Amino acid sequence: MRILIAEDDFASRKFMLKFLSKFGECDVTVDGMEAVDAYLMALEADVPYDLVCLDIMMPNLDGYQALKAIRDIEEDRKLPEEERAKIIMTTALNEGANVNKAFDLGCVAYAGKPIEQSKFENVLRKLGLIS
Amino acid sequence: MGDDMITEGMLDMFIFETEQGLENLENICLDSKDVGEFDDDHVNEIFRIMHTIKGASAVMMYQNIATLSHKLEDVFYYIRESQPENIPHAELLDYIFEVSDFISGELEKIKEGNESDGNADDLIEQLDAYLKKIKGDTGSGNASEKPAAAPASAPAEKPHFYIAPVASEASRFYTIYITYAKDTEMANIKAYIAVNSLKRIAEDILFTPADIISNPESANVVLEFGFKIALQTTEGPDPIMELVSGSSGIEHVEINECTSDEFIAFCAEAEAPISSAGEVLMAPIEQPTILVESQKPQANASSEKPKGDSAKQETPAKETPAKKAPAKKKAAAKKSETQSFISVNIKKMDLLMDLIGELVIAQAVVLQNPDLKVPGLELSNFNKSAVQLSKITSELQDAIMAMRMMPLKNTFQKMNRIVYDTSKKLGKDIELEVIGEDTEVDKNIIEHISDPLMHLIRNSVDHGIESNEKRQELGKKEKGKIVLEAKNEGGQVWISVSDNGKGLKRDEILAKARANGLLDNRSEKDYTDKEVYNFITLPGFSTKKQVTEYSGRGVGMDVVVKNIQGVGGVLDIESEEGHGSTMTMKIPLTLAIIDGIIFSVAGTNFVTPTNAVTEFIRVTADQLIVEPDGEEYIMIRGDSCYPLIRLNQFYSIKNGKENIEDGIVIILNHEDRKIAIFADELEGEQEIVVKPIPNYIKKVKGISGCTQLGDGSISLILDTGGLL
Amino acid sequence: MGEEILDAQAREKEVPKKQFMTFRCCNEIYGISLENVSEIIGLTQYTSIPETEDYIMGLINLRGKVIPVIDVRIRFGKEALEYNDRTSVIVIQVKETIIGLIVDGIEGVADICTDDILPPPSVSNLRAQSQKYVYGIGKVNSEVKLLLDPDKLIHDAEEEEYEEQEEE
Repeated sequence: MRILIAEDDFASRKFMLKFLSKFGECDVTVDGMEAVDAYLMALEADVPYDLVCLDIMMPNLDGYQALKAIRDIEEDRKLPEEERAKIIMTTALNEGANVNKAFDLGCVAYAGKPIEQSKFENVLRKLGLIS
Repeated sequence: MGDDMITEGMLDMFIFETEQGLENLENICLDSKDVGEFDDDHVNEIFRIMHTIKGASAVMMYQNIATLSHKLEDVFYYIRESQPENIPHAELLDYIFEVSDFISGELEKIKEGNESDGNADDLIEQLDAYLKKIKGDTGSGNASEKPAAAPASAPAEKPHFYIAPVASEASRFYTIYITYAKDTEMANIKAYIAVNSLKRIAEDILFTPADIISNPESANVVLEFGFKIALQTTEGPDPIMELVSGSSGIEHVEINECTSDEFIAFCAEAEAPISSAGEVLMAPIEQPTILVESQKPQANASSEKPKGDSAKQETPAKETPAKKAPAKKKAAAKKSETQSFISVNIKKMDLLMDLIGELVIAQAVVLQNPDLKVPGLELSNFNKSAVQLSKITSELQDAIMAMRMMPLKNTFQKMNRIVYDTSKKLGKDIELEVIGEDTEVDKNIIEHISDPLMHLIRNSVDHGIESNEKRQELGKKEKGKIVLEAKNEGGQVWISVSDNGKGLKRDEILAKARANGLLDNRSEKDYTDKEVYNFITLPGFSTKKQVTEYSGRGVGMDVVVKNIQGVGGVLDIESEEGHGSTMTMKIPLTLAIIDGIIFSVAGTNFVTPTNAVTEFIRVTADQLIVEPDGEEYIMIRGDSCYPLIRLNQFYSIKNGKENIEDGIVIILNHEDRKIAIFADELEGEQEIVVKPIPNYIKKVKGISGCTQLGDGSISLILDTGGLL
Repeated sequence: MGEEILDAQAREKEVPKKQFMTFRCCNEIYGISLENVSEIIGLTQYTSIPETEDYIMGLINLRGKVIPVIDVRIRFGKEALEYNDRTSVIVIQVKETIIGLIVDGIEGVADICTDDILPPPSVSNLRAQSQKYVYGIGKVNSEVKLLLDPDKLIHDAEEEEYEEQEEE
């Protein structure tokens, strides 16, 4: 599985990398802009990401914007549902409005920090990303 | 998810909305109980409720709740679509209550920060069987299968998941620093043992140096610089200390609780692999020597950055996960009502209450300021302003108290369920009538009377009201009935539970009291009914011959009374043998701020609530009566005689006035009893804010709290009830 | 980088030290871990509470908060002395409990290397009463400070049992 991580905080980035490395090959970006670029690059090289983990509070382009951008790209290329990346937002902001906004923009899950690792794994399983 | 909840955390929202849904569900069921079936509106409503709960619990990853709700939703989907006739209603009600209880139970676990690990498989099977039953054995019917596209859920539901953060309430973070004695051998192995022992309780654990197993050189590192562990666990520091202190050679262990940010910062700083509990240690990334040297400059550099950044980004929400009260209760905020309401976090209300308390004290300090006591000062303008200030403060106080008032409706409605359950299990046919449920009381009071009220109601159902047969035997035509009533009376709220059962048996109670040595020298007929009935509130007193599951043996009433007294109220018992009893809780409305009279004994100040004071007088020696056994009484106006308590003796205060003519006698009342106390002088009157005595101090008889006087000193609050 | 702003972690990594609030009581110097100390105040009036242990002097008003104060001398079984203007109150917090300790005078804050903290000698009749509360002896230069366990100082084991029973 190919995983894209977008996280601007050094410590969290290391944590996500360590945690997700066991599920697949991880690429790390430090802001929303880089994340969208990376996503596009992978798509064009025909090795698209299966899972994208976006932090919300990021410089340059925040998580919501990156999420929207990625979905727009997929829409633009008329990618069928199964080929679209599964996007999980990771953030310390757990307020209802934020969560709903994220779901509306098209992410499939929202993980509050600190991340409950076993639940996260469970979701990956439900999404069919791991067995 | 409602718009008025946008500032709440996901978890709180989920809990609140699900609880509301369950409450509605129960009410619908109880309404339908007598009719014997659900009407169309009911069916739709129930379907909608279960559908919502199913969806929300799936998003929050509580699968057991989701699956169970789904099952019940299926049942009601069938009922709604196929409208079968004559379905067994009582059985359905039972299932619904069981589902509701299961989900409530799981919600409690979640509120406490525990796992929702309940298993509803049996219940699901039963619902399945019920559904099959009402479908008839044909199993046909186009709407009987779970529809792939349920018309009720118009938009196709995409899977959405909300992964609640792990450190909501229970997780704590620690950095542990262990040093070993200089000559300890194999310090690295010992360090490893320490880590290993912590794995049992660790949600996450990290340590440095990290290569303690693989690299013998690490022993030197450990000896020189100590061993550091970052730990995430639900345990407190004591079990941690115990686990870690197991091995020999340990010189010192320091355990510091820290924030989750500091924990993450440590993880980054240490550059070591994160070992989650249960996972195998990974090979070290760097040599131990490099690790040590780079720690120093890095300690500053990297510990600044993550702390800074994560502090910045976590701060807005840091408060939310770490500090939320597990179950935030909200002021009534029903979306459907036409008046507009807002939900307010109860902590904000408490803060407001505290502040108004401080304001009252500050006002007293200003108005009683010694600077003002300079003789000859012209204070008429000042006094005018002071009056205005007092007026506004009073109004502010009233307004804030009003904000905290909530109708008793919710509490009373819970009683519905209790009467239903208890009477059903006991096979008695009992009706509950509720009057005055819109009466409002302070939120604090509601929390304290819920339990006593439940107990009183259970008592009535269990012991008060006779079984159906017995009632027939006695010729009682009416159904067993309990009336729950609330009303405002003066500055109090009266909540009463009346039943038309068998009432209290005066003779039996007196006999039991006599057997327990509780009677004094008066003859039995001299005891008023009230006095006799009050015996049942004594601990361990019970004339019940049987302990039942519902009201136990006499451990109840004394606790009920204690709880009521805890909010400053009293329990009034009335009864007529053979006809029934009425238990009334009389609770003063404003709790914490009361008018008080201050008096002193040898320099120690006491305060007692003004409404406990009947009068104060100076007496002459001839009014003092001393009994041979040393007990003293005061005789007033030739006819009223009150027992006297000398405060200086009662509390062993030295240098208090001894001669009855030198001090002041204060007549205090408590319920319908009066008592006289002897103090040195009256100091004044003041509005006081009641504060509890710190827990560190063991309870003193007759003292119920303390307060700050106008001069800033602390005064003890005398509680008449405690003196009796 | 300024030495003064080394954070506690960095400092610990060099030489583990712990900070103690030291004070005088009955001609000895005692120390209490700074972690437990909230503040130091002078002794103002306190309100006695009847029927409490002899070392519990009463309650004081600390900026609106009501906290109990205990006299450390009496706690150590010594005779109480009259309070003067050197008498101070050390406000400590142990878990949820906040208490003021009335002491003869404040000495200051001492950094004691954890290496230099030795367990108290088990044989010492001179200080029998206060012995129970001392968990270690700290050496700073040539001075010896008796380090107190705040939890033991304010609670009695029997008292805690009693509290547990009350909660049941």
